[in-house]
Order: sequence, then structure tokens, then C-alpha cells
Amino acid sequence: MSAANAAPRSLRLNNKTLALWVVVALLAGFVAYAALREMRKATLEVQPQAATHAFSDRRPAHSAAEERFAQALWNIHAEVRTAAVRMTFAGLAYKMGDGDRASVNTKVVPLTAVFRQAESELRALDAPASMQETRNRYAGALQLYGKASQVMVKVAHDGDDAHLLKAQEMSEQASGILLEVSEQLWPGEIKPN
Amino acid sequence: MKKQMFKALVGAALVAAGVLSAGTAQAQNCSVWLVENSRFMKVPFGMFHPDRSYVQGSTDARNNVNTVDLPVNVGVIKCGQELILYDNGWNQTDYHKATGTEHWAPLSQQIAQLGFKAADVSKIIIGHGHWDHAGSLDEFPNAMLYVQAEELRGIEWALNYPGHERIRAHNFDKGGCNRTPACGYPPKTVDSIYGKVLRGKAVIVNGDMEIMPGVKIHAAHRAHTAGSQLLEVPTSIGKLVFGSDAYSSWEAIRDWEVANIQQTDSVQQFLAYEKCYKITGGYQNCVAAHEPLSYTDKYPLTKNSWVGMNGGRLAEIALAPGEASRKK
Repeated sequence: MSAANAAPRSLRLNNKTLALWVVVALLAGFVAYAALREMRKATLEVQPQAATHAFSDRRPAHSAAEERFAQALWNIHAEVRTAAVRMTFAGLAYKMGDGDRASVNTKVVPLTAVFRQAESELRALDAPASMQETRNRYAGALQLYGKASQVMVKVAHDGDDAHLLKAQEMSEQASGILLEVSEQLWPGEIKPN
Repeated sequence: MKKQMFKALVGAALVAAGVLSAGTAQAQNCSVWLVENSRFMKVPFGMFHPDRSYVQGSTDARNNVNTVDLPVNVGVIKCGQELILYDNGWNQTDYHKATGTEHWAPLSQQIAQLGFKAADVSKIIIGHGHWDHAGSLDEFPNAMLYVQAEELRGIEWALNYPGHERIRAHNFDKGGCNRTPACGYPPKTVDSIYGKVLRGKAVIVNGDMEIMPGVKIHAAHRAHTAGSQLLEVPTSIGKLVFGSDAYSSWEAIRDWEVANIQQTDSVQQFLAYEKCYKITGGYQNCVAAHEPLSYTDKYPLTKNSWVGMNGGRLAEIALAPGEASRKK
């Protein structure tokens, strides 16, 4: 083999080597990409399912104004619902012997103010026309709760359970209205327990 | 004289026999059915049964199920002339529509499929006071309600908790109240319970109680809620124990895993499981409230099942002597 032939041969070898390196680099890149993809996938797999809700929200879409109203009412609703349950438990505790007649008065009188305040806040809300009826129904529930609280405390004066019964009927009626509004505005309010 | 003495002795013997037999009233076997009041669809498995959380791509049968459909099971128990319900579902039609819940029908109509009238229900034992287990009380005005005092006191304690608002939150946000102590008791449900109390139609139970021969309430406090309670029922196939949400999942009882941990103390839930093992001799006769395998061969106690109104399923679990099948 002559020296004259050596250069082109070397060049040919260099071209081959270069091509080989290109193939190796491509393969390495592919392997790295695959490894990264698998690592990412594995990370995703151990994510908790917290984002998935048990129930789908099937209510019709609300307008922006309706959504604002629903959110504002939710803030009132949270207070009302707790006050309503507290009123019920004031009566239950009394009937279970966990408090005397005076304790009913002590526990329920402040709740009358909560229902009154809630009604005042509700009336001040900017409700779109489509939500006027909902607002009126909710206001009706608040009035029922308010009346129930006023009737209920009469037991502290005369010990007559008839007041409790009358108040309970009004309260349960109001609670039914709350559920109906909840189904319309916040269908996911209560979850499987 | 002798004749009179003889008559007196016979009379005394009869009275004594009567007194003795009354004192040792024998437990009679009861007939038992299970009714699917509704079915919560596509609940993430891990939310219900944490040890069965879904892992994407997993080939392990325990972790490759993403969502499950959960029945809301109600026990219908007939002991002699007494008709007893264990739990009583939920009756808000619009709520069920809004949330995609299926198979629901009013419980009074569902038990009518078994030939029972709502007016004939004499006792309702609620395993706990959550809305989906104590939500149809108004449909059964004649029934005496049995609820643990601890259940009611537990809610009141939480509502009046003086510290952080998260503890006393009745419903923290839309769907976010899970596991706060007073969560799961909407005003309507507690008003219904209170109505029963005011009308003299409630027994507030402190701990264990035998409500009729062989039919026993067992307190299981904090096994799901503050005042959870179980019900032991004698039947021709052995004793059954109903557990409401203390026994949410039958597979979890079998495998000793927690399930549906709302206000649950996991140790107390395990002790409630143990109670069933002790009373029935195993896990087969533990009656679960939300077991996804209900009404199938995979939950053998409930396999004798059929489909009723609105696709809701029923199972005939045990028949007392002389009781005809009500399976249709």
C-alpha cells in the first residue's frame, strides 16, 4: 500500500467514525429521552387522586353574575347552616338532660341575631334577575329560622315543650329550603359520608 | 279443701311458669333483607379505601381500580311482628339528580317491593347520624329511633369547640368539610332526629342495649363517628352484625384495613371489626354499608339478589322459620 493512498483511506475512516459517533449520539439521546419520560411518568403515577371529585357537577352553567351571587350566598350560608344546627342541638341537649330551660335561652338568643344579620346581608347582595327567586326563598328560610328561635326560647319561661315542637317544625321547613337552594347552587355541598 | 288447695297450687305453678318464661325469653331468628337505597357513582377508590388507592399502570389487582360505585345499603329486619330498619338512606330527589347518584327511590317505596309498609316499621337503628344513613326518618312516622347519646354529644361538642374554626366547622367549604368532626350532618337531618326526640319517638342509647331478645345494639364509638353503633341480629344462618359506616367496606373488614375514614379513629374501627369476628365467628356475616361488591357472588352474604325499581338492588340474606321468600 502506497503513501499516496493513505490520506484518502484515513479520510474514509474518519467519515465512518464520524457517522458512527452520530449514530451513537442519537441513540444516547433517545435513551436519555426515554429514561426521562419514564421517570416523569413514575412521578405522575404516585400522585394522589385528590383532584378527582366523587361527583361530577351537572348543574347548568351559571353566568358570571350568577356565580358571584352563588359565592356571596355561600359565605352567608356557611354561618346560617352552623347556626341552624346549633339551634337544633340547643333543644336536643335540653331534652337529653344536658342543660336546663335557661340554657336553651342562653344558647338560642344569640342565634336570632345571626339569622337577622344573615337576612340583612342577603338583602344587600347584588342578585341577578335569574337569582331573585332563589334569594327570596332563602330569605323565607331565614325568617322561619328566626321565628323558630323566638318561639323556642319561650320554653325557658314556662317549660312547655309545645314551643320546642312548633319551633322544630319551622326549623325543619327552613332546612328543607336550604337543601333545595344548595342543590341549585352548590350540588357538591355534601359528599358521601 | 283438698280440691281448693290443689287448684291454688296449679294456679301458682302456672304463674311461676309464666314468670320464668318471660324472664328467659328466647331469642328468635329474624328474617333479613338488604336494600340498595342509592348508588354513588365513580368515587375514587383511594378516597374510600386508602389501601386500595389507584396507581396508574399497576398490575396489582389491589391498586389498579380507579373508581368504584358505592351502594348505600339499608338493612330490613323482621323479628316476629317487629319490622326494623338499620339505617335509612337519604331522600333528596334533586340532590341525587344533581350529583349523578343512581338507583335511588324513596326507601318507603323500596321496602314496599318486599311487601312492607312504611307505617309498619316499628324501629329504626341508625349506625350513625350522617345524612345518607339518617336521611329518611320522616318517611317512617311510627318508628322508634335508636341513636347513641354520644353521637349527638359529639356533634354538639364540635360545634361549640372554642379553639380553631376548622374543628368546629360544620361544613368548611363546598365539598371540603371531610373529616371535620361536625361534617356530614346537614340541618335537615339533625332536625329530623330532633323531631323524633320531641315526639317521644326516640330512644337515646348509652352504650350497649338489647332492644328485643337476641337483637343487640353494640356501641362502636369513634369507629366512624363519635357515636357509631352496630346491630347484632340472630338468623337461621348465624348471627349477623350490621355496622353502617364502621363497616363501610366488607373487603376492608376481611383484610383488616380502614375504610371511609370520615371521623374515624382507626383503632376503634378495627375493634368494631373484631366485634363482628367475635360475635359471628368471622367476617362473612358482617354487613357493610357501602361495599362495592354488594349484591354479587364476591360478597357471598348478599349474593341472593335481584334488581328492583330504578335499577336498585335487593338481597334476601336470611329467612326465619315459616317466612316465605320475598324475592321477585
